[in-house]
This record gives sequence, C-alpha cells and structure tokens, in this order.
Amino acid sequence: MAATIFKQSRSFRVVKVKAPGNRIVVHWRKRNPKGAHCGKCGTLLNGMPRLRPVELNKLSKSQKRPERPYGGMLCSSCTRQVFIEKARAK
Amino acid sequence: MMQKESETQKDEKGDVLKMVLEIGRVCIKTAGRDAGKHCVVIDMLDNNVALIDGATRRRKCNILHLEPTARKVDISKDADHEAVKKAFSQIGIDIKDTAPKKAGSRPSKQPRKKEYPAEKKKKKPKEAQPLKDAEKSKVIDVVPEKEVEVQPEKNPEQKKKAGKTLPGGTTVKAPSKKP
Repeated sequence: MAATIFKQSRSFRVVKVKAPGNRIVVHWRKRNPKGAHCGKCGTLLNGMPRLRPVELNKLSKSQKRPERPYGGMLCSSCTRQVFIEKARAK
Repeated sequence: MMQKESETQKDEKGDVLKMVLEIGRVCIKTAGRDAGKHCVVIDMLDNNVALIDGATRRRKCNILHLEPTARKVDISKDADHEAVKKAFSQIGIDIKDTAPKKAGSRPSKQPRKKEYPAEKKKKKPKEAQPLKDAEKSKVIDVVPEKEVEVQPEKNPEQKKKAGKTLPGGTTVKAPSKKP
C-alpha cells in the first residue's frame, strides 16, 4: 500500500487556478528546489533552471547549463580565475 | 586564491595587454566556450579586439578574455588556419579540427504501425455471423421448450425475495429489475 500524501503542508505550495465557470480553485503543488550555487564562491549560478528532475528531463542539454568548461559548477568569474591561474603556473 | 577583478584592475590589465599582445603571441582563452584552449593573435582589429586562431575557433576576441603566455610564433598577419597548425605543431600543441556532421548519417525515426485496432474491427463481424447460423439451426430444436418453462417460474420467486419484511410486519418492496 502506498502511503497517502498529506498535501496541505508546508512542503507544498498553493497555486490558484481559474476553473471553468469562472471560479478559483486552490491547487497544492510541490515546491521547486533551490538554485545551483558556485562551488568556489557560493553565489547563485546564472542560466541554471530551478525545476524538479522530471521537468529537467524535458529540457535539452544546452538549456540546463552554460556551454562552457565548468559550466553549471563554477560561476563565470571563478572559471576565469581558474584558467588565469593555470596559464600563469606554466 | 585570487580575488575577483575590480574595474580599475581590468583597466590596468587592458593597458598591459595592449603592450604585450602582438601578431604571433600565443595566448590562452579564459572566457566562453573555448576557455582553457590555446590560440594565437593573428591580427589586432582594434585597440580592444584581436583576431585569433588555433585550438579555438577562428574569431574576433576581446583582449580581456585572453591570458598571454611567454611563447611566441612566427606568423604573418591574417595567416591561414593551416599555417597556424604548422606553427602550433612545432611548439607541441595539438589542434583537433572537428568536421561538420553529415546530414544523412543519423537513422530517421519510423512511425509506429497501427495494425492492432484495425484487425479487431474486421474480425468481429466475420466470426460472429457464421457461428450464429450454425448454432441456431442445431440448438433451436431442443432449447425453446426449456426456456419457456423456466422463465415464468423464476420471476415470481425473485419478486418474493426482493420484498423485505420489517420487524413491525410491514413489507417494503425493493425496486424490481426488469429483464
């Protein structure tokens, strides 16, 4: 037996939907996850969708993260520092 | 750990880069899709913009996105990609040229065959008709007498069962099902 899910809790969010007959109905949906953060400085990454994994599967690869080495892991300014450090180490 | 560049630091870096960057200077790209790859300055289009080629794509580039190295290569202005390849092979840097994909290489998707529902519709009327004709001719001689006798007997019994008796003695008739 699958356990019934109590939807009217804090882990769900309220969405007001307009139903036919012009009445407003309350729907309870799962909250979106937190956004991805930079592994070095911890800022929120740009260009990363905040979606549940089911909806992430519908997106193409280039829509999920920036098309750049360390894209989706480090922010743009931190990647630049990494490559400058590597170049100067040689 | 390096700190993030402020705007004054960027201006200083830009001034230094304008002194350093010449035609033939080997650099590493630090921003964008080609970040971390080696390239050569082929031409300075502007004070701030250089034309580059090498392991990166051949393209215009902001000089702030380049990190110069100590190496230099003998190359003429606006050199070909093949000339850049030769110069890079002497230094020991490999360049991988990616060819564009061929259009016909992928197998195209074929639509699903919808035979299943079409067969069912055809089969039902064909099978049902011959069976009925064959069965009726055999069965009709025997059965009808039994059916006629049984049906009237059953109906009154069902009606009696359907009516419920309450403790007060009153009867409540349930809604009778019509055959």
